[in-house]
Amino acid sequence: MTRPLPDRSLGPEWTILELLARGIVNDSERQMVRDLLVAETLNWGELLEQALRHKMVPMLAHHIISNDLRFDVPTSIYLHLESALEWNRFQIQVYRREAVCVAQALAGRGIHFVVTKGIAFESTLYGGLGTRFMNDVDFMIAPRDRELVLSVMTELGFRTFFEYAKDARREEISSRLNPDHLPKLARTIDEPGIKTIQIDVANSLTWAKSPFDVSVEEALADRRDQPVPGMSGVTLPCFRPNYQFLFTVLHLFREAWLQKFVDFGSDVGLMKFGDVIRLIDRDPKELTDGELLRIMETHNVTDPIAWVLRRTDETFHTGTLEVLGLEERGDEQLLASQMQSKGYVNALGTSMRERLQSKSRGSLLQAVPAHSGS
Amino acid sequence: MDDITTQFEEALRRHLRSGKPNAINYDMELVQLGLDSMTAVAVLLEMEKTFNIRFPDEMLVEGTFRTAGKLKEAVQMLRERQAA
Repeated sequence: MTRPLPDRSLGPEWTILELLARGIVNDSERQMVRDLLVAETLNWGELLEQALRHKMVPMLAHHIISNDLRFDVPTSIYLHLESALEWNRFQIQVYRREAVCVAQALAGRGIHFVVTKGIAFESTLYGGLGTRFMNDVDFMIAPRDRELVLSVMTELGFRTFFEYAKDARREEISSRLNPDHLPKLARTIDEPGIKTIQIDVANSLTWAKSPFDVSVEEALADRRDQPVPGMSGVTLPCFRPNYQFLFTVLHLFREAWLQKFVDFGSDVGLMKFGDVIRLIDRDPKELTDGELLRIMETHNVTDPIAWVLRRTDETFHTGTLEVLGLEERGDEQLLASQMQSKGYVNALGTSMRERLQSKSRGSLLQAVPAHSGS
Repeated sequence: MDDITTQFEEALRRHLRSGKPNAINYDMELVQLGLDSMTAVAVLLEMEKTFNIRFPDEMLVEGTFRTAGKLKEAVQMLRERQAA
């Protein structure tokens, strides 16, 4: 998928992160990042803060190191970036090992599952370079297996995350009321620098009581085994590309469209959009052979998919809607909406691009009654 | 209006987004008054704090707070259970 260079209207620091998030695919993009990084006017404080907010410090570090820019970066910053990348690589190794341990236990009990998000993408979309940040390991199971999985996880020494959370009771109530995930699970491990491993087990491709959904059982029926880097002969099951794409996009939609994620300060970041772009770049044939479109139409999820892709294209100057044949699809009222919580549509007076860059997204919210048509 | 009702309505109003109705309609679904999945969590936490109660797991379901009337019934029941 080709795309023009981004405009620099939001500043050089932001332009660098946008380019890295969508993936550097040609020399002109590489040159643009180089020019911006070596400019004396670059604000390193701003770049590092935004890279942190968007979980892109390891990716920034890797780009600087692999493009031989060491001596163009202030030494103290370079040293920090280098160690951040090494640390992320170490964490990923630990996550891989834990993911395999959980996967073997689940498989041993005959449970159908896949790994998703960071642990599924780090070795494929991000080449196993240690550039994809993750702070937990994600699994997807069928709703019918919730209790069995909880029991297996308990046997493995995991406990509900309530005990580790800042507001344990809030987490507990939230988890009971929203049964699209198991309660977050964690266990302490004996690794220097890593106190707990968190596992997030979802049992829905969207969220509890969502008007949009795709059957998990259907998605789990046809999985693919993916090699685990550094572990010879070991694999982890993942969704095949169509369902992996659907889940990734619907998950992004959930975090972008439901106001609660803004209120929690945990809504979308550049990396999530980067995942979507990279999925299309990796499997354009499989995603455009008609099967994906059929699944979307069968489950009536074309609207949320088009919502995400429209914002992806507006933000990153990509052509994802065109590639997937969705330019004319989607309900315009939903596509134009920014966000919704029950009974209310909340308009953000800004584009997704500005929202992503904003450091105080909550202040962008303007509650507007749904019937006002906003 | 007794103290409990006053406290209950004040706690509820703090989390509803559909403006601040003068009189709470105890039969209307709270969703229609602006309750969503996040505010539901906040409302239940507020009720626990205000009335020093704890909703047991089996009551952490939508039916408990479908309407203000249902929620108030649950709060009263838990207060009585605790007092007993």
